[in-house]
Amino acid sequence: MTEITYPDVVSYAVPFFIAAILIELLWIQLKGRGGRYETRDSVTSLIMGAGNVASGILLGFIAWGFFMMLWEVTPLDLGTTWWVVALCFVLDDLRYYWVHRFGHRVRWVWASHVNHHSSQHYNLTTALRQTWTYTFTFMMVVRAPFVLLGFHPAMIFFVGGLNLIYQFWIHTEAIGKMPRWFEAVMNTPSHHRVHHGRNPRYLDCNYAGVFIIWDKMFGTFVPEQDDKKVDYGLVHNLGTFNPLRVAFHEWIAIFRDMAQPGLTWRERLMYAVAPPGWSHNGSRMTSDEIKARHLKTGN
Amino acid sequence: MPLNVLLPIVIVGIAGIAVLLHLLGRTAPRRLSDAEEALQAWAREYPDETAIEAWPSADLRAALILLADGRAGLVWCMGDDTVARLLEHFDLLDTETGLDLRLQDISAPHVSVRLSEPDRRRWKEFILA
Repeated sequence: MTEITYPDVVSYAVPFFIAAILIELLWIQLKGRGGRYETRDSVTSLIMGAGNVASGILLGFIAWGFFMMLWEVTPLDLGTTWWVVALCFVLDDLRYYWVHRFGHRVRWVWASHVNHHSSQHYNLTTALRQTWTYTFTFMMVVRAPFVLLGFHPAMIFFVGGLNLIYQFWIHTEAIGKMPRWFEAVMNTPSHHRVHHGRNPRYLDCNYAGVFIIWDKMFGTFVPEQDDKKVDYGLVHNLGTFNPLRVAFHEWIAIFRDMAQPGLTWRERLMYAVAPPGWSHNGSRMTSDEIKARHLKTGN
Repeated sequence: MPLNVLLPIVIVGIAGIAVLLHLLGRTAPRRLSDAEEALQAWAREYPDETAIEAWPSADLRAALILLADGRAGLVWCMGDDTVARLLEHFDLLDTETGLDLRLQDISAPHVSVRLSEPDRRRWKEFILA
């Protein structure tokens, strides 16, 4: 059997990431607009990015082993022609949309994804503020059908890397709007700025990776409004730049909530799987409740 | 890319960007201009918890928020931004320059506030009331 390999495109993109960050910073410095940078915020984001690569090296074998096990049992093999790679890319982007949506609606998955939203800045370093704990969300199972359908695991990781690289450039305020046809089909800085907003009207929308059409198809698209500037970050922002706290704070919060005395087993489970903000006594607010309050009171 | 190539690129990249940002004056520049700005920063995170007054610290990097129901909140500067928390579960320590608040909050564990001696007494009196 011929071994199928693809380049590790994300690691090859690292020098480009660094160069692009320097160009964006230079642009902001010269123009006095187009975004903000702060030293410790940026360093934290960059360390989170490096940690994401490290966690991939340390824990990647789990997903790889799982997919190769499925590859051994499936009778299907779609091969490696260009159209199969293209189809895999599109389907994987659809997979990304749903995993990303789960990442905002299921607290167990949010615990991994929250760190990407934990900066109050929106610049190219924010793009690299990536999770260290994705493996523990078990969201790898969403890719399992692709392997069973005959897409080789190496191809699936390859197109996933391309998806991640695409999403890098949309984390900027230096680009306003792209041409209308592009905004209609592709994820853009404008669409993704909205996704990073903590304003009630911008919560939990625009989950797309590459193609914004998924949000339009599934009813989660919200356009950026010129009269409503995006306020970046979390509903309650972090009071730390410590990468360990950024990476693990929500996991610890989940386990503390689940360990409270006097809860039923259902309530303990809900602290892990209900939307972020759910509480057994209604003392916190989910994004749906924040939106409802906003519509009612304007807050 | 081999690790022995990738690792130096990552380390030099992070260090270089950090040094550049610092030299450009982009390290922790935020200060609260006045009590009004502190109240706005509070309302940004706690729109349902009505604040009636804010007492900024000596260095304008934090403010005690007095709530309508008698509770206290805290706003402080983080880098170029602000963070706010209700003061519910915490330890309060005197320091040479003011107060240390050790919050029982994994996402915001510790805040140091610079205060004059009269302000320190006033803050403690309200927080501990």
